Amino acid sequence: MLSQKNCHRKKMNVSFVIRDSEEKQHRNGINSLQIDQNTGKLYSAGRDAIIRVWNTKNIDSNEKYIQSMEHHNDWVNDIILCCNGRNLISASCDTTVKVWNAQKGFCMSTLRTHRDYVQSLAYAKDKEQVASAGLDKAIFLWDVNTLTALTASNNTVTTSSLAGSKDSIYSLAMNPSGKIIVSGSTENILRIWDPRSCVRKMKLRGHAENVRALVVSNDGTQVVSGSSDGTIKLWDLGQQRCVQTIQVHTEGVWSLLMSENFQYVISGSRDKKMFVTELRNPNNSTLVCEEKAPVLSMCYNLDRSGIWVTTWNSDIKCWKLPNYDKSTLSNSIENGQYSLNGGTSSSGVELSCIKGGAAIKKCSVLNDKRHIITKDSEENVAIYDVLRIVKKEDLGKIDFDTELNKRNQKIYIPNWFTVDLKTGMPTIVLGQDEVNCFAAWVSMEAGLPEFADQSSDMKINYGSLLLQALLEHWTPPQSLPSGGMDDDIKGNSYFQVPKHTPLIFSEVGGRTVCRLLVRDAAGESESSLLQETIPQWVTDIVIEKNIPKFNKISFYLQPHPQMVKPDRMKKDRLVANEFIQCRKVCEHVIEKVLGAEITSNTGNASNSSQNSQSDGNSEGSQIPPEDRIELLCNDVIVDPNMDLRTVCHFIWKQSGDLTFHYKTKPNFSYDSKI
Amino acid sequence: MGANISQLEREIGSEQFPPNEHYFGLVNFGNTCYSNSVLQALYFCKPFRDKILEYKAKNKRSKETLLTCLADLFHNIATQKKKVGSIAPKKFIARLRKEKEEFDNYMQQDAHEFLNFLINHINEIILAERNQGNKNYRNNSNSNPSTSTITISSTTVSTSNAPPVEPTWVHEIFQGILTSETRCLNCETVSSKDENFFDLQVDVDQNTSITHCLRCFSNTETLCSDNKFKCDNCCSYQEAQKRMRVKKLPMILALHLKRFKYMEQYNRHIKVSHRVVFPLELRLFNTSDDALNPDRLYDLSAVVIHCGSGPNRGHYISIVKSHGLWLLFDDDMVDKIEASTIEDFYGLTSDIQKSSETGYILFYQSRDAV
Repeated sequence: MLSQKNCHRKKMNVSFVIRDSEEKQHRNGINSLQIDQNTGKLYSAGRDAIIRVWNTKNIDSNEKYIQSMEHHNDWVNDIILCCNGRNLISASCDTTVKVWNAQKGFCMSTLRTHRDYVQSLAYAKDKEQVASAGLDKAIFLWDVNTLTALTASNNTVTTSSLAGSKDSIYSLAMNPSGKIIVSGSTENILRIWDPRSCVRKMKLRGHAENVRALVVSNDGTQVVSGSSDGTIKLWDLGQQRCVQTIQVHTEGVWSLLMSENFQYVISGSRDKKMFVTELRNPNNSTLVCEEKAPVLSMCYNLDRSGIWVTTWNSDIKCWKLPNYDKSTLSNSIENGQYSLNGGTSSSGVELSCIKGGAAIKKCSVLNDKRHIITKDSEENVAIYDVLRIVKKEDLGKIDFDTELNKRNQKIYIPNWFTVDLKTGMPTIVLGQDEVNCFAAWVSMEAGLPEFADQSSDMKINYGSLLLQALLEHWTPPQSLPSGGMDDDIKGNSYFQVPKHTPLIFSEVGGRTVCRLLVRDAAGESESSLLQETIPQWVTDIVIEKNIPKFNKISFYLQPHPQMVKPDRMKKDRLVANEFIQCRKVCEHVIEKVLGAEITSNTGNASNSSQNSQSDGNSEGSQIPPEDRIELLCNDVIVDPNMDLRTVCHFIWKQSGDLTFHYKTKPNFSYDSKI
Repeated sequence: MGANISQLEREIGSEQFPPNEHYFGLVNFGNTCYSNSVLQALYFCKPFRDKILEYKAKNKRSKETLLTCLADLFHNIATQKKKVGSIAPKKFIARLRKEKEEFDNYMQQDAHEFLNFLINHINEIILAERNQGNKNYRNNSNSNPSTSTITISSTTVSTSNAPPVEPTWVHEIFQGILTSETRCLNCETVSSKDENFFDLQVDVDQNTSITHCLRCFSNTETLCSDNKFKCDNCCSYQEAQKRMRVKKLPMILALHLKRFKYMEQYNRHIKVSHRVVFPLELRLFNTSDDALNPDRLYDLSAVVIHCGSGPNRGHYISIVKSHGLWLLFDDDMVDKIEASTIEDFYGLTSDIQKSSETGYILFYQSRDAV
């Protein structure tokens, strides 16, 4: 088992998200919406990696939130509600397609066929068929009934793939009968296949830029496309040509919705506006509303009197459709009344709003390499503690850079994690290997002052403590040598981290291998999955309780030219742990360098060991070493409290070995004291 | 040698021989043709030569630098009694070997690397001397010699807080500005960044022209799969389209044809001898919409030619245009050539021959600069 473990390894990233146990609000833009016409449940696919379910039937109710569907680790780009609302299919930048139980909200299976972001889904209702496509240029066709029947043991699924696209696909559509499928890509063309035979039927040229939105008519004879070039085009597939170009937007058209009889198009754009336009008569066009940010997706509300709209912001708003008579949609269209003569104000009529939260947009790691400072989309600044995985302080609307400078101390600790803000919540990515992840050693006093003991000189390693806490609940199936009686210390024996924290293992480069909550690591399936996934260097720390290696710094010690003792001009090359304080170097100078010389004279040198834990009380003299010896680096007198790596980083600032010069303090002559 | 000299004079004819002009070969000190060929090309870039001679006239007693050595060399050529002959650039080569370790040997060097080094180094000397001068009456000028490299310096005009360095004459002659526009395919936000350049480096394709090379240089590149663009607006990695266009056209446009290509299977650089036509007259089409001087018309003024089969073997010569005459400088030898001979240096249409004599660095001089 263990030998197998080492051989198939790509490097593994360990990451986790700092968040609340329940995130009831979207924390970033929303890429896609679906509504269940029977129940009025609205599904929203967030860039915060969470799909949320809302009750829209009871429009006046304050509490619209029903539940969150969490299992993706990156933007959810598209969702499809299928099987009459029983199941939901989702596509994500984490390169997976997931199948969900839409009622209970759990993830039933994960399809890992795509090799890049999955951008778009298409649905053939009559056949219960879903297609997925994305930046890997591939389109896969899925039979939903097969997908929902997948189990842990019966987990093979066949798929047809549609080949031919030469570029990344950004949009996809099918008609309900699954007769045709259309893709839009950065080739700027529409490609059309027959999904039944997987045969290429045609490609349609006309757009000048990426095709971002597509709708196919029910009978599969017409297609409407929206492009980054700002136009909407109507295509007649029989004639294989564009029969209408609609130019109502000033920027890319990212979202399209058709009236039931395929005569009116509702379009949402990067220009923040939404228009309803008569397909065959583009002059007949009305502004539905103007949002505060580019429009990402739209869907009809339950009674089709308005549309739910999402943008880069996290709110979901319902806007009234102009002159819309809900009882007679078809009539109103026949009468050409969808319109138009300046009825609505330019901002539109807002029927309802599902408020979203703020997304974190900016972040810096403080140089204690423990805390991060963030600023969100509402300009609020906050401090998070990465080690404890909690938000520590809300600072409100203050200046980010000022606060960052205020909090940064003159101390150098190596990096051991990075922060990713793609979801709008801080995702902490730990260093990729033992060297990076375990780079940060600090004194107990600096890292965990509540456990610090004056007399001891304990060092703690941030990466190791955190990994132990994250995997506290995990016991590998056949880990410990028989004994078993090791009811040993779980975790790191100092602190625990929030149990709801999502923990993610992914290949370097992006593909997620495993995602679980900290508290679930004990579960049988999670536990064996972890066994397969977790790299050896993590197991060594978490299970074997090995202690990461100290990082060493080598340096030279030379007498300062001002205290020339010709016989001792040689350089001493020394190696020490990077976090020791310069005080220790002073001590070394007294005991090992000067002391050695004195010893021969006096014969009663102090013999305290070099790396003892009780250097503070070293015998030789009552006067602390730093009061007797002055250390200089680059002609700067160094603070005895500064550690070696900080000196190296802030004062030495070169690649070669650190060099110290020492001299006795002016008011203290070693020789005279003896 | 005497015979050769008189022959060149005879060929040009004493009436036709341009007044105050000197055609002097440069002696090779063991594989220093990379330097000789570039120096000849630069000598016949009139704006550059004038500035160097002006520097020589102004700086009588400064300490030796590569610039003073170059100025002495140019001055030496320009003040020869004879019209033709050869000169040993001994001091210059000695100084060069002191300045840069890579050149301190007797191996063949890359002429483009040398040009790159020389122009940057001269520029730094000028900046340093300017700061030195400023110190005399200004208290503390934060001397920060420009870090611009010949390829593409990563100085962003928009983000740099430091006041831009006042241009030197090296900047004025060789520096242009490239603007790179990157458009995130997800949020469709365009971010653009200006970069200074001292020369443009273009890829070469078989049976093409410089115009084709420049078009390829400005082709839209899609950043995708493992090479996605970190979009500040999306806070994530997204696909993006990027293209580079020229925003400010330099007075002298140096074009470096990337003829030495690293081939993984051979684990070394291989010479690409593809035929690339370079016209005597050139206009740039890959200029940005906000270009300052997009209509500049360029004339070919000099070409550094690589002869041979690989980067570390072979020979460098140069051809230059002087007063309507084309001359070929091969170390200490100088010959008059017909303009039609230039075609011989376009490259090879077949890949069979290993060795070739091909244009490697082209110097185009803006017509409005004269």
